[in-house]
Amino acid sequence: MTAATRKMQRVSTAFSRYRPWLPWVMLAPALAIFIAYRLAPLFWNMVLSVQHWSMFQAPTFAGLYHYRELFLYDDTLRQSFENTLIYLASSPIAIAIAFALALLLDRPLRARGLYRAIFFISYPVMTVVVAVIWLWLFHEKVGLVNHVLLSTGIVGKPLHFLQDDQLALGAVIVASMWQVIGLYMIILLTGLQSIPATLKQAAASDGAGPWQRFRHITLPLMRPSIFLCVVVAIVNSFAAFDLVYVMTDGGPGHASEMMITYIYDVAFSLGRFDYAAALTIFNFAFFMMLAWFANRMAGGDAGGGDGR
Amino acid sequence: MAGDAALSRRGIAKWLAHLALLPASALMLIPFYWLLKTSLTGENLFVYPPRVWPDDPNLFHFVDVWYAVPFIRYLWNSVLVSALAVVSNVVLNAMAGYALAQGFRGQRGIVLLLLSSMMIPFQVTVVPAYLITRELGLLNSHLGMALPLSSTIVCIFLFKASFSAIPRSLTEAARIDGMSEWRIIREIHLPLSKAAVATNVVLAFVWSWNSFLWPLLVARDQQMQTLPLGLAAFLSVVEDTSGALYAFCVMVLMPGLLVFLMAQRHFIAGLTAGATKG
Repeated sequence: MTAATRKMQRVSTAFSRYRPWLPWVMLAPALAIFIAYRLAPLFWNMVLSVQHWSMFQAPTFAGLYHYRELFLYDDTLRQSFENTLIYLASSPIAIAIAFALALLLDRPLRARGLYRAIFFISYPVMTVVVAVIWLWLFHEKVGLVNHVLLSTGIVGKPLHFLQDDQLALGAVIVASMWQVIGLYMIILLTGLQSIPATLKQAAASDGAGPWQRFRHITLPLMRPSIFLCVVVAIVNSFAAFDLVYVMTDGGPGHASEMMITYIYDVAFSLGRFDYAAALTIFNFAFFMMLAWFANRMAGGDAGGGDGR
Repeated sequence: MAGDAALSRRGIAKWLAHLALLPASALMLIPFYWLLKTSLTGENLFVYPPRVWPDDPNLFHFVDVWYAVPFIRYLWNSVLVSALAVVSNVVLNAMAGYALAQGFRGQRGIVLLLLSSMMIPFQVTVVPAYLITRELGLLNSHLGMALPLSSTIVCIFLFKASFSAIPRSLTEAARIDGMSEWRIIREIHLPLSKAAVATNVVLAFVWSWNSFLWPLLVARDQQMQTLPLGLAAFLSVVEDTSGALYAFCVMVLMPGLLVFLMAQRHFIAGLTAGATKG
């Protein structure tokens, strides 16, 4: 039997043989959404990025004009690019804390479900609310953080977290960690619980200590879960709009500007859709590079096995 | 004796675990407590040092904000956009998942198309997506806010997996009985895929309920603002020391938190399945 006939047998009889258009009718609405809001915009970005575009006249060809500006003259881009990298680079801290929590909650423990819910509950909270809460906690005069720092004598006078270009980005990162740590914990906990207990028991009876079991059994088997956390971190660092927009609006100056807030500003405050498109393409290229790199680090089968 | 020692060592390990987990939980909960306390007392610049316990808690700020912002209007906009997103997600993704689960000529191309669309983060599309929405005349409309969120690729594959697990003989028998494909989806496949439906509902709800950047672009006037937009707008007109702001936060928080507490299990399953968004 050839592959083709085998395939035809697998393809259900009534479904597509008599009405070959039916699957396409079923797929059409979803495909229309993805084409209109994913694929077409990506291509339109590429086109826009090599055009001079304005609300009021027909676009003209600009060649690499915008990319020249982007690579040679744009200091704000450099700043927001660095900030995005710092934001991303801080995620291993959150993932490590979440890993510790997950390890503690992996074993039977009283009130385990309650702990899990407590650590997770900040994740589904609306990001704008998270931003307002942390604005208040970081308030330069009556914020709780300053109060604690002052009364324990760590600082001598209140810190102006969100007005200080050394501290603003850090404050945003702390808020983002508080929000996302529960998601990391749940992902890692799911991974831990899928490790067969018999493996650890076998290792223990062979005389492996707790550290050796962790190092040689748990850690290698946790690679896919850790990889998923890293992907979440990458996606979040590129999507970090809400927190920054509400907490600092990229300020002071551009001290906490992220790529996405900068693109938003260029497009919707300055009205430079063409330059914003070039920035987006740059952003996207970097995103793909990171995703590719993370995939290689994870052993080359990103998300494989579960169809994601 | 050896058994006793091992037992007590395990007991100590448990105490140590609680010793680490309790302060960590406190750190996670303090921001919520501080928000609630502020909303009930409206502490402001004149109260220093901040009090740890609420002093004379009252609901004044909730009443205040109720008259200051069109809360019901914001809530209605949020609910409508989320409902549109949730319903169309389940309908569109189930149909697409069914087509993929049954198989057809040209399927590989479609799967490839979907997988590559999945690689495009939504943030990358905002500028042209805004222009497209403007061309469609959907700026400042609920549909315009919901449309980009109305189908999710992760969930299409979720439905495909769930439908593929249904015995083929069941589907064939229904066909022989003369059931149309639409009825087979509705009356056989969907009832057997409750977990996939629940996951999709949760994901679509969270993403649309919390979405901020897209409605910020699409909603032009106050009448169309959703809850997060209303909150951000309120923040820009009041002082961050006004109790009303925090009362508003608590009111915005409540509906989402209620949904979370009611469907915690599905929530956690859904959010880990869609961790990377689609």
